[in-house]
Amino acid sequence: MQLAPRAAVGEFRERIRWMGAIALVILGLLAARMFYLQVVRSDAYAHMAEENILRRIFLPSTRGRIFDTRGRVIAENRPSYNVYVVPLYFMRRFDETFPRLSTFLGLSREQRDRLEARLREAADGQRRFQQVLVREDITRETLAILETHRDEIPGVSVIAVPVRTYPFGALAAHAIGFLNEVSADDIREHPDEDYRAGDRIGRSGLERAWESFLRGRRGWVRVDRDHRGVILSSRDEIARFGPDRRQEPVPGRDLVLTLDMELMRAIERAFQQRQFRAGAAAVVDVHSGRVLALYSRPSIDPNLVSTGMSQQTARSIDENIDRPGIDRVIYETYFPGSTVKPFTALAALRAQLVDPTARIRCTGNVEIARRPWHCAHGHVHGLVDLHQAIVQSCNIYFFRLAEIMSLDLIARMASEYGLGQRTGIRINSESAGLVPTRAWYQQHFRQQRVGYRLNSAVGQGNTRITVLQLAMAYAALANGGTLYVPQLVERLQSPDGTVLQSFGATVRHRIDVPPADLVRVTDALRGVVTDRLGTAHEATDISEVELAGKTGTAQVSRVARHGEDPRYAYFMGRDHAWFAAFAPFDRPEIAVVVLVEHGGSGGDEAAPVAASLVRDYFTRIRPGEPIPTVRAAREVQQQQRPIVRRRRTRRGR
Amino acid sequence: MARSIQARLREEFDWPLFLVVTTLATVGVVNLYSATSAQGGVRGELYIQQIRWLALGSAVGVLAAVVDYKYLERYAYGIFVGSIVALVAVFLLGKSVRGTHRWIQIASFQFQPSEFVKITLVLALGRFLHRDARAERRKLRHLVVPAGMVAVPLLLIMAQPDLGTALIVGLVAVSVLALVRLERGSLVWLITTLVGGSYVAYTYVLKDYQQERLKSFLDPEKHKLDSAYQALQSMIAIGSGRITGQGFMQGTQNQRRFIPDPFTDFPLAVWAQEQGLLGCYAVLLLYAFLVLWALNIAGSARDRFGSALAVGMAALFFWHTVFNIGMVMGVLPVVGVTLPLFSYGGSSVLTMLIGVGLLMNISMRRHTFG
Repeated sequence: MQLAPRAAVGEFRERIRWMGAIALVILGLLAARMFYLQVVRSDAYAHMAEENILRRIFLPSTRGRIFDTRGRVIAENRPSYNVYVVPLYFMRRFDETFPRLSTFLGLSREQRDRLEARLREAADGQRRFQQVLVREDITRETLAILETHRDEIPGVSVIAVPVRTYPFGALAAHAIGFLNEVSADDIREHPDEDYRAGDRIGRSGLERAWESFLRGRRGWVRVDRDHRGVILSSRDEIARFGPDRRQEPVPGRDLVLTLDMELMRAIERAFQQRQFRAGAAAVVDVHSGRVLALYSRPSIDPNLVSTGMSQQTARSIDENIDRPGIDRVIYETYFPGSTVKPFTALAALRAQLVDPTARIRCTGNVEIARRPWHCAHGHVHGLVDLHQAIVQSCNIYFFRLAEIMSLDLIARMASEYGLGQRTGIRINSESAGLVPTRAWYQQHFRQQRVGYRLNSAVGQGNTRITVLQLAMAYAALANGGTLYVPQLVERLQSPDGTVLQSFGATVRHRIDVPPADLVRVTDALRGVVTDRLGTAHEATDISEVELAGKTGTAQVSRVARHGEDPRYAYFMGRDHAWFAAFAPFDRPEIAVVVLVEHGGSGGDEAAPVAASLVRDYFTRIRPGEPIPTVRAAREVQQQQRPIVRRRRTRRGR
Repeated sequence: MARSIQARLREEFDWPLFLVVTTLATVGVVNLYSATSAQGGVRGELYIQQIRWLALGSAVGVLAAVVDYKYLERYAYGIFVGSIVALVAVFLLGKSVRGTHRWIQIASFQFQPSEFVKITLVLALGRFLHRDARAERRKLRHLVVPAGMVAVPLLLIMAQPDLGTALIVGLVAVSVLALVRLERGSLVWLITTLVGGSYVAYTYVLKDYQQERLKSFLDPEKHKLDSAYQALQSMIAIGSGRITGQGFMQGTQNQRRFIPDPFTDFPLAVWAQEQGLLGCYAVLLLYAFLVLWALNIAGSARDRFGSALAVGMAALFFWHTVFNIGMVMGVLPVVGVTLPLFSYGGSSVLTMLIGVGLLMNISMRRHTFG
């Protein structure tokens, strides 16, 4: 064998020393890295390690229920079984788990593709640890399938989530509102309120306005999990977890409203009987501003919205020409027509510009400022004083009155009664409407015309009001001049029924009108119903309660579109029918406003609806002892049909 | 020569080497016991299997230690060619696991020829350097033969494909060849070609999934779910171990199975979470000692072959350690390199213990002349 001299190794020695040095440096770097991980960054990694095994599961709070004033349930919650996926665990074996899950859920091809895209997106981002809502409100059968096969679809969980239901459906839906899923914007805009993707948020009506009270606060529990997301903690353990592992949810507050759903039903029936397509009604308590009914027709069933409606349903709602989404009580504005005449009269009386006994001859038309002005539908009223001008709704009288009044005089009285101003109900982006003044015309038309005054006096021209405004104004007529803020929520309760907060009446202001003037005008309002010549006399067959009110027939200015169905164009061109009233006359309790869109004559169409709901209210719905007139009417009936009637009455109570 | 075997054993036996290796292997088994405890008992017996491998490896290692390495030098090329044949055989009779050809099965015994090539290549290079003693600096053409020796197994392993092993084989070979001095011009040429070559290799030779691994290492945010996820979970395990660790068999990352591959690729992550920085430094010190001791043996070897062989073994331990720990700590890509004596696996344990045997062989014969 060849002997290698030791010197030959010497060639390597220096290199070997270098190698040792290099090795030490590299191992030193590894040691430094270890120090960095285990000392410098240890808190962060310890936190991540904990997050790995302790997953926070949210315990949903129960949204507060909504009751009407008589304790009827308007909105409550039922369990909905929702399927969630944690992308991180689910995507690991996506090719196996995804088809399985799709089959279990019975997804269509289109739904599968959409879901896949969503999951892939979620798996890339920061939310890969968070549950993604995959499907809502699955059936019991699907639930059973998922439970059986839970081991085959890691990362999938089913959570019972309360879903909102509205037993009255579309009735009062505008006022109650609805919920839907929070958007990214919502979450950004309310950083302190802990909204998370998948949460529901009140979108309109009371659900939105009282969101913070209704919602409650979610709780959470931190449970042990393994790498697949399988929960290792037992049920007993979870129940026992202390405050650092578990926080109980706080349920939302219950709302008790001033609304009376039985009255709402009565209104609905009255509209249905007369087959009105669209309209609105409001009923308020004249002594407190409590809102007993807010009715807007047509309406949308909020149950469809909260459970997710089909695209077809959504489209049919969007394309409905009657625009069911519009709140006709609070949001939509209308010409008030003759319903403002009492206020015009009060303005003239207070300014002492008119002798109420003086009579004017109505020939059906008059020329003022070189233009002809008419009474509605060619009526000729003959000699009328102020009383008869209101009873018969004589435009000519009010045109002559307006001639001697300034526009601002008319506008001021209307404004004092709250017309053209927001009532302050604070739901559904309330419209202010408009009671035009001289300044307004100056700004918008750069001129003043006599016609502006004449139109304002009879609620046409540029005057726009909401149904609710008019109801509050008539309540103020009835109660002697107190304008209230409409009150919709009576009290807040905890889920066990403990009253947490009660709300009372809020006075906006007192209207300074001489009582004699008020008596004169309200007397005329009674005449509208009771006087043989009254515009609402014929159509309001009501004996139980004495009603006082004013009809209105608001002209609609509308240009038919080219190629439009002529029947539709005719309908849309018809006048809006109004009736604004209070009852009973001698001791007023409620003010009622009924609007029938394109109903035609207020006296013929709107007044009967008002009369029927007032009758329903006082004979059937109103709590407490019946008012004297109702009792008297019952006694008359009982005498006529003694035996049968007596029995029925007893049961009817 | 006249002394008895016992006497030689007493006087020449490399106790430090023996102790450091025994300690590492013991700690490795203990750690494996904890790592396997998480699998719900399914892999609970794995540590016993590892002990069997260690026993078998020790026997082979003793064999590698007692036979004078001059015989290894003599038959180095033969052994090398034999291992190359085995590498080729992998493609012909090997079984395919997830699209790669790495294993050969003989009876009930599976092994990876590529593991043993790490040693046989060093033997071959050692013999070349031994016989090719030169006083002057070498030119590139003098490296053509060893380069060829490296290239053949390297290409075969990359074709399997097994990036991690190829990497180690390449680095070990370069480390051994770094023993010789080159002319400055040749060195510049060499470095330029290596850099260029690695680019070409990355673009044309690497499979897509291998490229992905490297990319995911360079851009971990975009690849959370695959190998970077593994690295992240490993880093979480290490970082949460803090200084003193969570205690034996208490590491949550392993117990809840967040650590990927806790037997072969990521056993140190288990160790780090349970034993903390102190435990990690202890292990790191053992490896540092092992590598430096091996270099020490190389420096005092009786001939160039022994020296080159010892450097090769030092490089083998070193690069395995660096790549595994670097990978576990998220500073190097996840390429599937085992941690010597810590990782579970027959081929790995056998290779490492043969390496230790060879070191012992060289160490015990440093004062003798063949």
